[in-house]
Amino acid sequence: MTARLLVVDDEARTAELTADLLRRAGYTVDVAASGTEALERVRAGSPDLMLLDYDMPDMEAPEVLDSLRSGGSRIPFPVIILTGARHSPADQVLGLERGATDYIVKGTDRQVVLARVHGALRERSGSPGAITRGRLHVDASRGEARLGARVLKLERRPLMMLQLLANHAGDVVSRAELLDQVWGSSYRGFEHSLEQAVHQIRRELREPGWIETVRGIGYRFVARS
Amino acid sequence: MATGSSPGPEARAELAEGLHRLRSTLARVRAELEVAIGDGEAPPVERLLSDLRQALEVLGDVEAAALGVVRVLVVDDDERLGELTARGLRRMGYDAEASGRLRSLRPREVVVFDLGVLNSLDAEEHAALTVARPIVVTGAADPGARALADDLGASDYLVKPVELEALVAAIKRRMAE
Repeated sequence: MTARLLVVDDEARTAELTADLLRRAGYTVDVAASGTEALERVRAGSPDLMLLDYDMPDMEAPEVLDSLRSGGSRIPFPVIILTGARHSPADQVLGLERGATDYIVKGTDRQVVLARVHGALRERSGSPGAITRGRLHVDASRGEARLGARVLKLERRPLMMLQLLANHAGDVVSRAELLDQVWGSSYRGFEHSLEQAVHQIRRELREPGWIETVRGIGYRFVARS
Repeated sequence: MATGSSPGPEARAELAEGLHRLRSTLARVRAELEVAIGDGEAPPVERLLSDLRQALEVLGDVEAAALGVVRVLVVDDDERLGELTARGLRRMGYDAEASGRLRSLRPREVVVFDLGVLNSLDAEEHAALTVARPIVVTGAADPGARALADDLGASDYLVKPVELEALVAAIKRRMAE
């Protein structure tokens, strides 16, 4: 199944050119012409990724992000902001807390745009569908995890973390990447939560060896029969 | 929207130079198109596209100089980690790009350099990197790595895993020099 993207831009020509670039790369693309229309479309069904113009007459990107986030602490799909303006670090306008995944300045090389879209989709933690590794079955989007027949009682973040690790079975996933993918855009103060989440996962699995600590780097999922 | 500190003399000179180049390039694009239309011929699309690419690059230089945008190149042989770091920096307002190898630097670009890439540098690149006074990142805290970093004229030395806050602090120190 190809990823479904939503392009949001009030300039029809810009929106179509962006959509065309993405369709040529094999994505299924919908277009929304305003922030309001974008929110309506998301209510009807979440896209796999949103490309959001910063400046629109009805609302600016931060407002759209705030609306998308309302009710949950994290937007369930990556949002890449397209902006015509550069921002200095002092502004923090695009800031850490709004929940956007990435930023692209308009006029950026098309290959770079595709690489960033591809990267954001690949890194997406709640990747669609379930994953089975040995006796372990995880489906974070449904809030389920089982080891054999036994249901694992995991909160949302440990569950997302387990799915992310299982998706990269055999590879080390860095602490930075886990914080980025599971805890969202803020890096501050979540180191402790990360350790607690690992502790919770190991306790629920009740068998040693599934999650290895790679000192100073991160964690590795080891598939066991 | 962006309001960096007002540009210093060096940035003002860059700004004037950039605006001059931008105007020349755009004037050339316009003239090419007017000539093509006047002659009833197809415009030289490839050349115009190359000019527009250059104009956008110069515009980036002008914006950086005028708005106090800090540009960062993250060089790391682990592409995923490099892109993750660059993305984190972009979220914090930096104009950051990741690359698996050293490329030619943009004006006043800060370089975050993973020592793992050191062996891929030729003499010219090595010299350019030393002039840039990179922030050196390494996977191991052994004294050898420290000496290599010093040899590169490193402005800072960070051991992986590098927290984004520590990296931002190092970038700020580098910019304050």
